Amino acid sequence: MKTVKIILAGEGGQGIQTIAKVLSDAAFKAGFQVAYIPSFGVEQRGTPSLAYLTIGEEEIRYPRFDTADYVVVLQKRAIKVIGQFVDTNTTLIFDSSAVPQALLPKGAATLLGIPATAIANSDFIPKVFNIIVTGKLSQILKLPKELVFEAVGETLGKKFKDEKIKKANEAAFEFGCNFEAETDKFTKATFTPSEENITVKGHGKVAQIVPKRCKGCGICVEKCPVKALSFGETLGVFATPVPDIDLERCIACGNCYRFCPDAAIEVWKVS
Amino acid sequence: MENIAPISWKKSSKPHLFCPGCGHGIVLKQLGYAFDEMKIARDVTFGIDIGCSLLAWNFFDADTIQTHHGRTTSVMVGYKMAKPERIALAYMGDGGGYAIGLQALLHAAYRNNPVTVILVNNENYAMTGGQSSPTTPVGMVTSTSPNGKRAEFGKGLHGPELISEIAAPNAYIARVSISNPIQLKITLKKAIENQVKNKVFSFVEVLSICPTNWKTNAKESFEILREAEKLYPIKEFTKEKEVEK
Repeated sequence: MKTVKIILAGEGGQGIQTIAKVLSDAAFKAGFQVAYIPSFGVEQRGTPSLAYLTIGEEEIRYPRFDTADYVVVLQKRAIKVIGQFVDTNTTLIFDSSAVPQALLPKGAATLLGIPATAIANSDFIPKVFNIIVTGKLSQILKLPKELVFEAVGETLGKKFKDEKIKKANEAAFEFGCNFEAETDKFTKATFTPSEENITVKGHGKVAQIVPKRCKGCGICVEKCPVKALSFGETLGVFATPVPDIDLERCIACGNCYRFCPDAAIEVWKVS
Repeated sequence: MENIAPISWKKSSKPHLFCPGCGHGIVLKQLGYAFDEMKIARDVTFGIDIGCSLLAWNFFDADTIQTHHGRTTSVMVGYKMAKPERIALAYMGDGGGYAIGLQALLHAAYRNNPVTVILVNNENYAMTGGQSSPTTPVGMVTSTSPNGKRAEFGKGLHGPELISEIAAPNAYIARVSISNPIQLKITLKKAIENQVKNKVFSFVEVLSICPTNWKTNAKESFEILREAEKLYPIKEFTKEKEVEK
């Protein structure tokens, strides 16, 4: 195998470093030379997270690079950090259900879309989205499937709290390996944060929800004494669901806005 | 819409940098309402520590100082000496206040320096990945106590109890929890008022949640917080001392 340079970009919390770790473990076991450098700022959700990965038969002299053979981008906000790595030989792989194709940097040789977020949400559990991407990437790099899956087990083993999660990961990995990537017709990017505020009126109350600030922690849903809040369809800043409010049940006690750490919800009475 | 966020919050820095469901957001929101109600946002100098609390560096439209780990109290004491007309707030976590910065905190209390210390206790070192801290209760699983913290490593440091032993009788010392935001706001206001009116030390410990490192959802987080409230009782320590006197 010729030395390939891969850059993975996304947001902290998405599992970018997990993908890179699994692939580098598997490639090392398969007898290749591997270099992997994680690159992220403060360790938290919402900040860009990058992984530099070099795999090849030749000895690797320097682990960083300026242009990559494969650029993988999994979050809309990460697009701005990958522009410099794209040149005319680059294959750009992106999560077509979360990254709008129109915003991607121009000039890449090939575009490959994997609607991983949409598939993970509809067919599996949302958390396995990075395993689908791992499966597909391992096939693009022609790494042996058994070794990659072994590496998935070693990296995530502790997180498999019950059989259901383990099964979902196995199925997602298998699905990713066999997935035929989109090359010209891409899925519409529906898993992007909602920009507009939601205002609901009725029953003498007004509710205001700001998806731009909501991080989907669920404290308001937990603290509502009359169960008027539940997770809905709209997506917040981290592409997590924003609560829907049922104003018929709501008693405007103010618990949700008092507890919300992000000031994303408020309900008040109108006379 | 008027009340959705405090006026003293810096709107351009939101959504803020804390994790989803972080207790710091709830504490800083009530602190913002306290600033609004007392109309002091322009008079406050907000000192922050190393640790998760430093992510509040652009939280308020107020002057902010960020300093060395554990030295926030000392820096704010010095600042207050130079500028007595300002309101000096030191904001820190339990790692900064009870581990590396305990001597700074104890001596500020001992000297009765006119600063307000707000300490957010989430029972671990959250920014570095959830290692066990002086306030971690016995049995809690953290990344440095994978089988649960053993009793021989301490049963949890009770900060306000310790400080109230050496603090002056007119110092305001209290412990609150984010499970009651209204009480939290009232306590924070009292602590700031004590600095402004009586020119003495005040200290508030706020029991908080850390869903990221506890690996809990909203419901489980508040269940752990309820356990913490049993170990660390919610009360004011000032009045007791006055009664004794």
